[in-house]
Amino acid sequence: MAGPKLIKERVPTPEVPVEERVKSFVEVNLGYDFVSAVKEAERCLQCNPAPCIQGCPVHINIPGFIKALRENAESPEEAVKNALRIIWDDNTLPAITGRVCPQEEQCEAPCVMGKAGEPINIGKLERFVADYARKHGIEKELLKEFTSTENGVKGKVAVVGSGPAGLTCAGELAKMGYKVTIFEALHKPGGVLVYGIPEFRLPKEILDREIAKLKELGVEIKLDHIVGKTVTLEELLEEYDAVFIGTGAGTPKLLNIPGILLDRIYTSNEFLTRINLMKAYKFPEYDEPISIGKKTIVIGAGNTAMDAARSALRMGSEVTIAYRRGREDMTARIEEIKHAEEEGVKFEFFLNPVEFIGDENGKVKAVKFEKMRPLEERDAKGKRKIVGTGEYITLEADTVIIAIGLEPNKIISEEATGLKTNPDGTLVVDENLMTSIPGVFAGGDAIRGEATVILAMGDGKKAAKAIDEYIQKKRLPA
Amino acid sequence: MGYKITKKENLSAIDFFMEVEAPHIAKSWKVGQFVVLIVDEKGERVPMSVYYADRENGRIGMFIRRHGVTTFKLWYEKKVGDEILSIAGPLGKPIEVKHYGNVVFAADAVCAQAEAYATLKAMKEAGNYTIAIHSFENKANTYPEEYLAKPVADEFYITTEDGSVGRKGHYLDILKELIEQDKVDIVFAGGKLGSLKKLAELTRPYGIPTIVTVRQIMVDGTGMCGSCRVLYDGEIKFACRDGPMMDAHKIDWDDAIKRNARFAEQENLREKDTLLN
Ligand SMILES: Cc1cc2nc3c(=O)[nH]c(=O)nc-3n(C[C@H](O)[C@H](O)[C@H](O)COP(=O)(O)OP(=O)(O)OC[C@H]3O[C@@H](n4cnc5c(N)ncnc54)[C@H](O)[C@@H]3O)c2cc1C
Ligand SMILES: Cc1cc2nc3c(=O)[nH]c(=O)nc-3n(C[C@H](O)[C@H](O)[C@H](O)COP(=O)(O)OP(=O)(O)OC[C@H]3O[C@@H](n4cnc5c(N)ncnc54)[C@H](O)[C@@H]3O)c2cc1C
Ligand code: SF4
Ligand code: SF4
Ligand code: FES
Repeated sequence: MAGPKLIKERVPTPEVPVEERVKSFVEVNLGYDFVSAVKEAERCLQCNPAPCIQGCPVHINIPGFIKALRENAESPEEAVKNALRIIWDDNTLPAITGRVCPQEEQCEAPCVMGKAGEPINIGKLERFVADYARKHGIEKELLKEFTSTENGVKGKVAVVGSGPAGLTCAGELAKMGYKVTIFEALHKPGGVLVYGIPEFRLPKEILDREIAKLKELGVEIKLDHIVGKTVTLEELLEEYDAVFIGTGAGTPKLLNIPGILLDRIYTSNEFLTRINLMKAYKFPEYDEPISIGKKTIVIGAGNTAMDAARSALRMGSEVTIAYRRGREDMTARIEEIKHAEEEGVKFEFFLNPVEFIGDENGKVKAVKFEKMRPLEERDAKGKRKIVGTGEYITLEADTVIIAIGLEPNKIISEEATGLKTNPDGTLVVDENLMTSIPGVFAGGDAIRGEATVILAMGDGKKAAKAIDEYIQKKRLPA
Repeated sequence: MGYKITKKENLSAIDFFMEVEAPHIAKSWKVGQFVVLIVDEKGERVPMSVYYADRENGRIGMFIRRHGVTTFKLWYEKKVGDEILSIAGPLGKPIEVKHYGNVVFAADAVCAQAEAYATLKAMKEAGNYTIAIHSFENKANTYPEEYLAKPVADEFYITTEDGSVGRKGHYLDILKELIEQDKVDIVFAGGKLGSLKKLAELTRPYGIPTIVTVRQIMVDGTGMCGSCRVLYDGEIKFACRDGPMMDAHKIDWDDAIKRNARFAEQENLREKDTLLN
């Protein structure tokens, strides 16, 4: 069959050299410029139907935006504007998702090009469109097209939490013409995007820009407000036509094993919050202290573990990731694992911690692990089950970071007793994302447990539609 | 948006009183809950007890020890009329205000001195006989009486270690006497963790309920980081979310005391830094 030649390899994106990046928190991947982005876009086969669209949880018209990008190669501004318009139909935070989505499991997994060579680098293209648009003022122009002129007249909605779920829900509702107020417990908006994911993966200026965009849309953000404490859900319902809960899964799971109270054993949340949100890496210029030794062990193998490991490395520690399962069972994005390995993070598999050993000052000095063995049998998530071998090994460590998972914070559900929860603490919602309390909707990690940024955004968007319908229906005369 | 400092007053050689505009907290604060403040862009999140919440004017009062960077900035740099970056709350669980009988509140450090008045006021309104014991190291550290719980206490004691003001000794000594007179139905206390450990041992044999502020190093104060974890009845609990007022008999005090000293090295380093610059 004649046709354009298949280009099997991706157009590469430059990265900051390892020697340089392990000493700073600068972003590692530098992304495409226009010429290389168009080159990568030209590899796309424009499949119809396009399996990549099915792989993306919010079903972005991927071939559509890729086509727009390469079609107008003479006019970068036009090309990017058209591409961004298509992306924004389904995803308002492409600069973020382009950077943090697990593309290899989502849009890029079913990409047809992946069968012949490397899949199209959809994530980096999406990121390029967003970054270019922001830099060249295209985003601002386009925002006008997407904004309703009925600002604030359709009703009032309260959004609880300013992670990706809350930000998206607020943005969508504001664009439809609602007056939206976000209530955030912390002193900075962004949820995990600000306190969890480090600078070297997601520069904070990108998030700042997204927040500024929301403010331009008329969204008000009340920081330092803990819903359930500062203001109750009931009080919100008196003042607002509907409420969206996007409080995430912010409570760390801990290992209840001997020595858990020793000094220098951190949860990934404490470690990353001190570093990202409070900028402890700039201590003593910033007031927040952190105490890190020379040998750090990180327990876990998700994104959180990689972020903690690479942050500890940048703070000058040797770092080993210890995981109770095998290499192929790690849940982090492939890019993060690759970067961690390049930067010198060591990996130990099939080790399950059983005890933390302390020195005479109450600081951790070693971790005792049981060696594990995989079985053929798989668990509900498709991972191989593991069993203990009865053999133990002790690894020296003067710092330990526990990154074994997170669960929903119960502040709201404890206070608002009408709010039904599942046994794992997630909120019960119906197919429209409405909770057990009429007019109260929820999405993101608060209903899913630990999930992803794009799923949280997808929920925020879906809930915004449902909230609009709910309020408009309520307004109709009976 | 910042929060304006509306009053500041020196209390003693080491502590001061500060009031800030925080209407969101003033209207919802309940006895037993705390707040977290940040002084400026570069500041850390610092937990503070509440002396009073003035709903009408939307203000909260605090007692603060000149302790380290944040509290030095608050005392030496910030003036009345200036703003602090952030204050969030109320955090933690309120204590149960009801009729217990004879209620003691004992304090030997700044956080608890702050909590004494509001707690005993609420307890008195609930029909209890209230006993306040304020312990200080010496005269220089002792507060003016109008900041103490005297107006809401049926019985009122001040102690100093050197006897320069009030009785010589510590709240533990007074409590021992009161317990021997069978005058104590419940104790609320806070302050130095070492004293709280001894207090737990003192009341345990008598089975007197003892509810104390478990002061641990905190970051968020909302249950998000696990920094404030303590062993409580063999289980891991977060002092900010499950406390801060908790049953003293169930806390593993030795570990709690060790964890509270976690950043001593860095803080010393920084204090030297501050002094040198
Ligand atoms: C370190 C780390 C790295 C990650 N890396 C990735 C990645 O690379 N890719 C990816 O897709 N996903 C990643 N994730 C997961 C992803 O960040 C989450 O799935 C996503 O942020 C969930 O969004 P959310 O809006 O539901 O909640 P969150 O982002 O958790 O935001 C919830 C917000 O609600 C606030 N809040 C909570 N309770 C209250 C209350 N009572 N009142 C007011 N405010 C409240 C919180 O302070 C917070 O700001 C990572 C997670 C972590 C922790
Ligand atoms: C529930 C609770 C209520 C409190 N109430 C009061 C109060 O009413 N008045 C008051 O003066 N202090 C109170 N504290 C203690 C106060 O938060 C700390 O002393 C404060 O962090 C000192 O900050 P700094 O920057 O001035 O000193 P730093 O230089 O940061 O530290 C001085 C000392 O304070 C301790 N400390 C540091 N950071 C924290 C932290 N985040 N949480 C707890 N302790 C820390 C350290 O052990 C250190 O030795 C309370 C603490 C808790 C947990
Ligand atoms: S949002 Fe995520 S999954 Fe969807 S196309 Fe973009 S990078 Fe891929
Ligand atoms: S599956 Fe791959 S090649 Fe096909 S349209 Fe999508 S991105 Fe292009
Ligand atoms: S202070 Fe973070 S969990 Fe208590």
